[in-house]
Amino acid sequence: MKTLIIFLISATSMFAQIAADDVQTFTLKNGMKILVLENSAIPNANMYLFYKVGSRNEYVGITGISHFFEHMMFNGAKKYGPKEFDRVMEANGGANNAYTSGNITAYTNWFPGSALEVIFDLEADRIAHLNFDTVMIESERGVILSERSTGLENNPLEQLWQEVQATAFVAHPYMWPVIGWESDIKNWTKQDLENYFHTYYAPNNCLVVISGDVKLDEVKSLAQKYFEPIPAGPEPRKVHTVEPPQTGEKRVFVQREVPSPYLMITYHVPQTGSNDYYALDLLSSILSQGRSSRLYSSLVEENQLALEVGTYYGDAFDPTLFYFYGVCNDAVQASELEKAILDEVAKLIDEGINENELQKVKNQKLMEFYRTLETINGLSNTIGTYDLFFGDYKKLFTAPDDYKKVTVDDIKRVAGEYFTKQNRTVGILNTEEEQ
Amino acid sequence: MKINGRCKMEEGRWNRNLRINVSIRSILQFCILVILQLVYLSSYSFAQFKLPDYKTVTLDNGLTVYLMEKKDVPLISFSAVFDGGAIKDASVSGIASFTAEALRFGTASYTKSQIDSLFNFYGSNVSTYANADYSGLYTRFIKDNIETLLPLVKEIILTPSFPETEIEKRKQRWIAELDQAKESPRSVIGSYFNKHIFGDSPYGSPVNGTKSGIGSITFEGIQDFYKTNYRPESSAIAVVGDFNASDMMKLLQNYFGEWENNSPKKLSDLRIVNTPFESPTVYLINKSNATETTFLIGSYGTTMSNEDQTQLDVINTILGGRFTSWLNDELRVNAGLTYGARSRFAQYKLTGTFFISTFTATKNTEAAIDLALKTYNRLFEKGIDEETLLSAKNYVKGQFPPGYETAGSLASFLTQKYVYGLDDSIINNFENEVNDLTVERVNELIKKYFPKDNLQFVLIGKADEIRDIAAKYGKVSEKNLEEDSY
Repeated sequence: MKTLIIFLISATSMFAQIAADDVQTFTLKNGMKILVLENSAIPNANMYLFYKVGSRNEYVGITGISHFFEHMMFNGAKKYGPKEFDRVMEANGGANNAYTSGNITAYTNWFPGSALEVIFDLEADRIAHLNFDTVMIESERGVILSERSTGLENNPLEQLWQEVQATAFVAHPYMWPVIGWESDIKNWTKQDLENYFHTYYAPNNCLVVISGDVKLDEVKSLAQKYFEPIPAGPEPRKVHTVEPPQTGEKRVFVQREVPSPYLMITYHVPQTGSNDYYALDLLSSILSQGRSSRLYSSLVEENQLALEVGTYYGDAFDPTLFYFYGVCNDAVQASELEKAILDEVAKLIDEGINENELQKVKNQKLMEFYRTLETINGLSNTIGTYDLFFGDYKKLFTAPDDYKKVTVDDIKRVAGEYFTKQNRTVGILNTEEEQ
Repeated sequence: MKINGRCKMEEGRWNRNLRINVSIRSILQFCILVILQLVYLSSYSFAQFKLPDYKTVTLDNGLTVYLMEKKDVPLISFSAVFDGGAIKDASVSGIASFTAEALRFGTASYTKSQIDSLFNFYGSNVSTYANADYSGLYTRFIKDNIETLLPLVKEIILTPSFPETEIEKRKQRWIAELDQAKESPRSVIGSYFNKHIFGDSPYGSPVNGTKSGIGSITFEGIQDFYKTNYRPESSAIAVVGDFNASDMMKLLQNYFGEWENNSPKKLSDLRIVNTPFESPTVYLINKSNATETTFLIGSYGTTMSNEDQTQLDVINTILGGRFTSWLNDELRVNAGLTYGARSRFAQYKLTGTFFISTFTATKNTEAAIDLALKTYNRLFEKGIDEETLLSAKNYVKGQFPPGYETAGSLASFLTQKYVYGLDDSIINNFENEVNDLTVERVNELIKKYFPKDNLQFVLIGKADEIRDIAAKYGKVSEKNLEEDSY
């Protein structure tokens, strides 16, 4: 066997050409914050608009409305009527998409740098004067129902995820799926949409990130011309619900015909940017990133118990869930896979990890960092999410250093603190329940 | 084998639309920073793209090497391709894909677990794969680690050992994965479509194989497939990233210059004849618990090296290649029948397909198929007007550069260039090709390339509820989703 050479990240190789100082920032009089990163490697640019609203801002009866709203933002405003937003953008060489999570709604435009003003005009029109056309609302309802059912049809894991979330949370709105419940999708009204718009779609509730082949001065003057006249709105109500501590293990079963069972195990953990965030995030990599990761090498390859395994610890403003999930190999029962995962968890808590393993995941994070810097799209999305979830976009550029500070003791401690039976929810999806 | 992605937990997000990308020959793209602000006749000229300089060297053993320096981040992308695609499967369905994956099961000096651990330790991964036309290896690493990882890459390619224990373990899981993949109609419908279009010809065979094919794979079979198809004179390596080209050339010469394969060559003279369809037919795949119908409608398309492809992609952008495309506008925006509808050319080296694809709730099956066909027929009945053409031209030009932004996409372009015999003009002359497209030319191209008669249908859904509807479109043949093969 070749000796494993320990690779230490040298401070000099830490930063590529793009650094925190390259991001320029200004705030308009209406409270809209804008981050700009000039980069002319390709003659293209993008504009990301992050609204601080997601399914955590909903309540029973309008679940899924944040995501529905995201769709409605494309369905016509004052200057550009129904369909015009897309038509004008595409005719000018631009493309768009958008996404909604439990926490935020992001609108993404990709375009040749020369089309910058058109994009400002389109965005300003819909922020200031969105129109709710009754016909468009109804056809969009059909689209969303199809989006929901095609997700469930093609992925049993999504169905299980929905049930596990609904079981793990008793109070916090993270309990419902971002897409919403079917009956809510079918029943919300035009009035609900209008209320939502006036509550959350104000410039002071939005962060804008623009990267690529643009100049700061041009961005500034266009922002002043198009965005600044839009009046600020009142501060939206805070989400004050705090999920109470879980007091015992919960279990949920989902019946669906599948060739082999699906398993999901979750634990309540703190939100993104909290003190334990970096340790938990590295722990997720130790467990499931790459074929040498603990779960993959042991459960998939060595013991042939699973066809795939993974962990997930996503960005969240409020305390959230750390997920383990897996699909059983042929003839393996869910209980066997569950035991194997819990044995790995126990091993982590009892024995911790070694320095070599920790160095590996720190190197993986450095690689991720470089990959983010490689495209203007990765830059805008990541700069924006860091600013929202960590409170400062500069945290993106110190991330490799922040991960470096985590020790093997930190990893062992967070595993012991959060991965307890009392804090656990287990979900199984299978053709029938095990006897 | 790449069917795992489906079950990733995707960031807990819901997107507005399925990402529709206009990918020109699904090759990835690049540009250089010459901005020409020429605006005339409201046709925008956003920028002229040129492939950055690169070197091509053929080693004494016949191996082709491409080197391109790119220093925006301290990473190096490495892509290698071999003549070991699934069209060489012959009697053992899936052996090309399996052999490609088995390359990294162990080598002369490393076990599988050592390979995985070393790549992961340096923050990297290595993937080996096959598609219909070729097989390949791709990795990307931080430049400081090249001297550690390149020797592994060399052994994976030159001296794989194919250990039997790893083969047996992987076979068992692979077979289970084939069953599991069918849980997602969207991820398997392409295999049914190719089977329906190409039948028993090599392109009709599923890249990931069938359960019986994978079950019959042996060490000897893999060894034989490797020796026959992995040869320096039919392989290429592209390296793009933060390095000095002459230093890199020395390294590659050092590691790959000694590669030899003296086993007898098997002459293959694969000719593909696209036998015309004499009637429309429907291949109905029964998924008894389906709540929606997933379908493809199409026929033969174009090959990878088709000289008209850039212009065909502009036309397809209008039909089903962007959000405001006719298909998405009618089926999604106007009718609310689906979350997304699109069309595309799927091109291979020796043949290709063209198809419309979408999905809808079971009860809307007929409405969605009828509307898809009606919308498609607009191409032949009304053609495309000047204004729509101009918009599509601007769109494809505007969306072109980001595809060439990364070292990985450039390395991938260079190796595809090798496999498909493509010319750099696909990139360097892209804008001119697009600009030259006129309404008259559009109508000629539609007539020549878009299949009009005897369309072929593949539907995955609840057969009991859609059987009669299916019969409306052509003679129906049925299969159960659970059956092996496609």
